[in-house]
This record gives sequence, structure tokens and C-alpha cells, in this order.
Amino acid sequence: MLSSAELHALRLSLQAASLGVLLGFPVAFAIAWALVKTEMRGKLALEILVSFPLALPPVITGYALLLLLSREGVVGRFLNWAFGIDLLFTWIAAALAAGLVSLPLMVRAMEVALAGVDPRLEKAARSLGAGPIRSLLTVTLPLAYRGMAAAALLGFARGLGEFGATIVVAGNVPGLTQTLPLAIFTDLQAGDDSAALRLVAISVILAAISLTIHHVLIHRRGSLRRQWTPS
Amino acid sequence: MDSVISLNLRKSFPGFQLSVNADLPAGIAAVFGPSGSGKTTLLNCIAGLDRPDEGEIRLQGQTLYSNSAGINLAPERRRVGYVFQDNLLFPHLSVQKNIHYGYKLTSESRRRVAPGQLVDLLELGPLMQRRTSGLSGGEQQRVALARALAASPDLLLLDEPLASLHLSIRGRILRYLKAIHRELSIPMLYVSHSISEVIALADSALVLDRGRQVALDEPRTLLGRSDAGPLTSRDSVENIFDVSVIEHLPESGITLAALGETTLALPQVDVPTGQPVSISIRASDVILASEKPNSISARNILEARIDRVDAAGRSILIHAHLEQPWISEITPDALANLNLREGERVYLIIKSSSISLLD
Repeated sequence: MLSSAELHALRLSLQAASLGVLLGFPVAFAIAWALVKTEMRGKLALEILVSFPLALPPVITGYALLLLLSREGVVGRFLNWAFGIDLLFTWIAAALAAGLVSLPLMVRAMEVALAGVDPRLEKAARSLGAGPIRSLLTVTLPLAYRGMAAAALLGFARGLGEFGATIVVAGNVPGLTQTLPLAIFTDLQAGDDSAALRLVAISVILAAISLTIHHVLIHRRGSLRRQWTPS
Repeated sequence: MDSVISLNLRKSFPGFQLSVNADLPAGIAAVFGPSGSGKTTLLNCIAGLDRPDEGEIRLQGQTLYSNSAGINLAPERRRVGYVFQDNLLFPHLSVQKNIHYGYKLTSESRRRVAPGQLVDLLELGPLMQRRTSGLSGGEQQRVALARALAASPDLLLLDEPLASLHLSIRGRILRYLKAIHRELSIPMLYVSHSISEVIALADSALVLDRGRQVALDEPRTLLGRSDAGPLTSRDSVENIFDVSVIEHLPESGITLAALGETTLALPQVDVPTGQPVSISIRASDVILASEKPNSISARNILEARIDRVDAAGRSILIHAHLEQPWISEITPDALANLNLREGERVYLIIKSSSISLLD
């Protein structure tokens, strides 16, 4: 049904989006936590900075990442010096691109989730002897659990669809860095509409699955909550 | 001086300044004042949830906060239990896990209270496996109490624990608080805006008004003070007592209950004999007579002795003693007619229908 190149594009898309979420999640969490739960200065600046990938064309985000990862860039030079590796035009670069463009979405979803936890519950935990980290792990996170998972799903969905930034930093090498959107683009360029449509169908199915899970996480409070309480 | 909590602090918000300088003795101390007087802010400062602008807070010799020494202990290191106004139970944990939360975080050498003891004392046994969201207000309150106490605090802060409760179960929580104090001897600081509760529970009361410390005194004495008295809203003074049911007399529609050696006739209640109940009698419903009336419809005619006559306000408060201190509110006219004086005998006359049940 699918050619091996197409299967590879599917697997690469899933890989890149997953790794992107995996890498972006802790960063997004730290940013959301700082924005919601701390009194730090410069929140507006941080909020705007982290939202840039949302407002700018992804190609610009990709270009910024390209500058960072290139041999002349800060990160690229360090990676080359320390590990002798070059991430540009690898699937990891595609994952970084996916993580970066989905970062603002994850941060926003996490902000909502964290803001939904009554800060006085955290204060209650503190007065019972829990330090800030324990309070975060035993009260805030369990209560924001669904929102956190929803944020990851949203980031994953966005990462699957990533095109502009990916093509800049990872290129479009079939079997190597060609993700689903890139493969569709290539098929369209070649005039192979039926091949493009097969991949479109796969993309639609993937998007539908992740958005459905996201919706369930956001809306069906009871069904998930029941799992946490002892029977 | 043997003070448990030594407070000397100031904290400003726009348009408001809290300024307190008080040494509170062991036992149950009340913080009393109208809403917006800074009671919760004071508690938050003691618990470490708010930071004072300056001053010092000491608990049993340990400095929790000191502006000059640069000390501000984190809340988790203060060993101050806090029962919040709306309980703030952890919604993702069962009752049992809520109660064990602080217990587990307390080192074994520090543990003075076993969860099982609290479960018995607060009658939480049947609730242990429940989720907190399904509990009634009074049940949540008891769980919050147990949760705070299980961490073996050196001080328990209670922020209007009865305010959110239906009037009918106030008495039961008051009895639990007394039992906790008796059995565990943990000092308590109890925020209230009901002088009747404060009188029933506390040994001393700190009165705040718009952030200013007005008085630190024995609760009953506050009523007669010209500075603090008006803040205690006299018209709502109630006598709150714990009595135990002796006998039901269905044909008369009354229940007999014991207040110490004295028997009171209450409206019939649905409580088994021998059980404790809390009752409330408004001070204005306690009628006084200088001689024993012969034929009268009121069911309770009790001989007492006058402790004190407070004539500071518009109405007169007569403090009398019979098993417990009682307060009766009368008019200046009545005082003149009856010629009531300290140390003299007086009859308290109470219709059974003016005794209400607090359980």
C-alpha cells in the first residue's frame, strides 16, 4: 500500500515529533512554571520571546535554528567541538525544529493547566512540611496532569505538521530527513497527486487521533480523575 | 513570661496596614475582629505564607521571622499547622492520604500525634477511603483538622473554621476543638468574628480593627471594654454550652440535659441519652429575676450568682455564674429596677424554646 520511502517518511515524522516534544516538554514546563508560579521579573519579555515561533513564519524559526546549529553558530560549534557531530540536515534537526515550533503551544497549554491549580493548595502542602519541589511533584503536577498531557499532545500534533522550519534545518532528503509534509510537498512538485493524497490521508488520521486524545484529556475530567483515587 | 507566640510585626498593603505587638499565652488564643481587620494576613505571616515588612515572630523560643536578623523560615520548616477557611483538602487524594500527607513528612522523632488517634478523636473512621469532594462541609473541616494535626505542629492556626459551616454543626466542631486541645495540648490560634465562639473556646483574645491592635484580653472582659466592646457586636452574644442528654419527655415535648449538676429543659432533640450536645442561648433571651418566680411558663429557673455588671454600652451585660459563666443582656431600666449587684443571688429564666441546638 505504502512505498518504503513513504513508510520511512511516516516513521520519521513520528520520531521527529516525539523527540521534539520530549526535548521541548521540560523547557516548556520550566517556562510555564516561571510564568505562572513565580514572581520573577521580565515575564512579558519571556512570554513574547517564547511565542515568537507562533507568530513568525516557521521558515524564520528554521533560519534562526540553522544559524545556531551551523558550524559558525554557538550551538553548532560547541557540538562539533565537544562531540564531533553536526546536527544540521539530520532527523534530529527536524526534531529540534518540531520542538521549537511547538514550544509556544505547549507553554500556553501548560500555563492554563498550572493556573488551574489553586495556589493555596500548594501553600497548604508547604504548611504540612513539603518543600517547593515536593509540593510541585505531589500536588501541582498530579492536579495539572491532564493539562500537561494535553500540552504534550498539542505539541506532538503541531510537530507532525511542521514544514517550514524543518526544510531549512533538515533539508528534504528522502529516507533521511523527509517527513510527511515534505514528502507531500515533493509529490505535489512532481505532479504525483495520488501519492500526495495517500500521505494526506495518513496525516489526517494522525492529526485526528492526537486531537481526539487531546480533547478527551481536556474535557473528560471524571473519567481520568477516577484512576487517581484509591478504590 | 511563658508566652507561646510572640508577635511583633507590621505588614502593609495599599490602603491597609497591619500592626501587631502581642505575646499570646499557651492554650487557645483567639484573633477577633470584623472582616478586613487583618486576621488572615496575621495568620499567613505566622505560617510563612506572607512575609511581614518588618518585625519579629517567635514560636516557643524559636525565631520564625526576624527582620533585623534576616530570618524568614520557609513555611515547611515552621511546624505551624494551618486549617484554612475553605479547608483546601487535596482533591486528588483520598481522606486517608490527605491525613497522612503531613504525617509522612514529619520525622519520627518529631511525631507526637498518631493518625489513628486523630481518626478516633474526630470520628473519621468511616470516611478514610472516601474522596474529599463528596464530603460535607463539616466532614471536610474535620479532615482538614486531622491533616494539620497529623504533622504534629507546635502551633495550630485556624482561620474561621466555623464560618463556612451550617449553624447546626458549629457546636460539634467546637467540641472537637476542645477535645483536641485537651488531649493533644497543642496551642491554637483561632480566627473568628463571632464573640460567642471566642468566649466558648478561647482563653485570650487579640482584637484587631482595620489592622490595628485594639486589645489583648480575656474574651469575656472584652465585652465590657469601651474600646473593644463595640467591635464585638453585642446584639449577637450567645451563651454556648456543652450539655449531655439525660432524658426525653415526649409528652411534654422537652429533653432534659445536664450542664454539670444543673438540669436544663431543652426543646425535644433527637439525640440519644448520655450523648453530648452543644446548645446556644442568646444573652438577650436570658431573663433575670431577683426573686424566685412562683408560677411562670418558662421551664428553666436557675439560681446563679452575679460575677460582674458591665454597663459600658447601651445595654447592660450581667455576667453570672452557674456551673459556667453566663451572660444576660438587659436594659438600663431593668438594672435600676432589679437592683442587681456583684456577688448577689439572681435567677436566670430561660424558655426552653429559646435554647437552640448547635449539633
